[in-house]
Amino acid sequence: MGKRRVVRSGLMMPINSKRFVAASWTRNADSLDYDLEDSVPQAQKAYARSIVRETLPIAKLGGARVSVRINCATPEPDLEASVWPPLEMISHTKTESPDQIRHIDALITRLERQRGVRPGAVEINAMIETAQGIAHCYEIAASSPRIRHFSGGGGYDMSLDLGVEMFVGFDQFFYGKGECELAARALGLEPGISVFMPDVSGSVMDSEATYARAVANRKAGGRSGGGLHPNVVEPQNRGLTPPPEEVEEARQVLAFFRELDATGGAQGALDGKTVDRYEAARAEELLEWAAACAEKDSYKARMREQTLAHQKSEQSNPQAP
Amino acid sequence: MEEIVRRSILLVSVADQEAIASCWRHGADAVVLDLGDEVPETAKPQARAQVREATSTARRGGAEVFVRINRELAHADLEASAWPGLTGIALPSPQVAADVRDAAEILAAMEQQHGIPVGSLQLFLLLGTAKGVWNVRELIYASPRVTSVALDGTQLCRTLGVLPRADFDPFPYAAGRLVIECTAARVQPVGISHPVSLVPRLLSAEEIHGLAERGRNMGFKGAICPHPSWVEPCNRAFTPTLEQVEFYREVRRLFGEGVARGSASVPMNGRMLDVPVDERAKKMITLWERCQRRDGEKATALQSHSG
Repeated sequence: MGKRRVVRSGLMMPINSKRFVAASWTRNADSLDYDLEDSVPQAQKAYARSIVRETLPIAKLGGARVSVRINCATPEPDLEASVWPPLEMISHTKTESPDQIRHIDALITRLERQRGVRPGAVEINAMIETAQGIAHCYEIAASSPRIRHFSGGGGYDMSLDLGVEMFVGFDQFFYGKGECELAARALGLEPGISVFMPDVSGSVMDSEATYARAVANRKAGGRSGGGLHPNVVEPQNRGLTPPPEEVEEARQVLAFFRELDATGGAQGALDGKTVDRYEAARAEELLEWAAACAEKDSYKARMREQTLAHQKSEQSNPQAP
Repeated sequence: MEEIVRRSILLVSVADQEAIASCWRHGADAVVLDLGDEVPETAKPQARAQVREATSTARRGGAEVFVRINRELAHADLEASAWPGLTGIALPSPQVAADVRDAAEILAAMEQQHGIPVGSLQLFLLLGTAKGVWNVRELIYASPRVTSVALDGTQLCRTLGVLPRADFDPFPYAAGRLVIECTAARVQPVGISHPVSLVPRLLSAEEIHGLAERGRNMGFKGAICPHPSWVEPCNRAFTPTLEQVEFYREVRRLFGEGVARGSASVPMNGRMLDVPVDERAKKMITLWERCQRRDGEKATALQSHSG
């Protein structure tokens, strides 16, 4: 693959909400996640399915990764409706067994073949939102090569299953989150990191708190985020991107270590801090990540400009096909 | 199966006659009559002789009654305790599935011999060893009789050589594992927050309430009460409050309106209401109703015996 996936921010919305969907590509989110599950009322599910295919390209107007969140009770019709180009990921909710994932993997494989989607292009996000899911998280995470990122064990569904309140001032989900992270790391998947920070408001649009959380997550090795409100997109993009001073520091560390290595040394001190191969590897990863973030940002900007230019020319020349 | 309401589980030594005589008056959802650690070795035969009588005393307030047995003396203890009126037994420190199956086998035999409906006696597991905590899943699935599993922090400290300290909880992983595995298997996780999970102490009702509430937010559904003064605050902590019930009713109302308008994503004071939030509201309201019902049953039983 080589190229690193950059999903610092996400915006999840009910796919049947025309207003949210129409504006979604202007929000600068790294990922746009169109929901067929809990934010869509039961009576609207069929309608929601019927518009997935025409909705997916909207995400690409702003260069976002595009995903669909499906219902664990109805994977067949949901996937029939969703696996079309340019779909990049399916989120499977309330995953409780590896068989559920193997089942949707097979369905996706067939649909990719039939519909001209590059084989393996559609990633699976196996969401862990129940105690049963946590109890089987390792087998679930290992159940498909389409799973590249793995996290879970917290959130509203989890609080429902455990009967705990959401905002209690301590980390009531630490065991489940820990199990999922451990499974991800043991299998070499990208883990989700969510450092616990007390939250009493439960607001989904508090940009300052979101920024602080994103920075803390990045420092703990986190690289990804998501959200429900446009207000939290920018703070996550910013918080999960290494700031220039850290990039510069990483450059110095790497240059220092390379020189050290070339002269047969294994460990030295730079500005009073020990530099060894672990520090060097960390610096290298940070530079790689910063470069990937910059690339994603310029890609999104380019796509947005293209779209705007296109819309403008259509407006001035309404006769054009 | 409807979830059980077992918020306060009062532990009373069968050898303590005064405590036994009054154990039904405290409003406990369940009483555990102890034949185990709290009864000295020499007093055990006499305690056994009294346990059947103690069971009917304990039931007067409408409580479920369990007997904590000695695992090594299971047969004699069960011979003495398994009579109609008993809800089940509390099994200390099971470590492997066979420990649970052995107990279940004796229970089945007693049901036959003592005229108890077959399969009705329950098992309440008390985890006090690392091995038991690690194997919790196989312990739960070893018998359909298992309905509650508690983390016995005091015993864990003893078996692991941990010095109990007030400023540091040594068992957050064990508690997390127990809660997740019990919830996954649909049995009841029982416990309370550090520090009283390690060293039971007499505290004010408000302090106990706070720690039990924290336990509830860790995922526990009830707590073992080593003293009658814990019962009331534990009952309260594991019951949704009226404010919560009102809040959840409001959630359901707003969400219902949203769905009627065609949206299942409804804003409420900066929060977003969707299906799981509504489901949770429904679940909490149902739990509150079940707690009310249980309190009603106990009040009726208490009244009929206080005349």
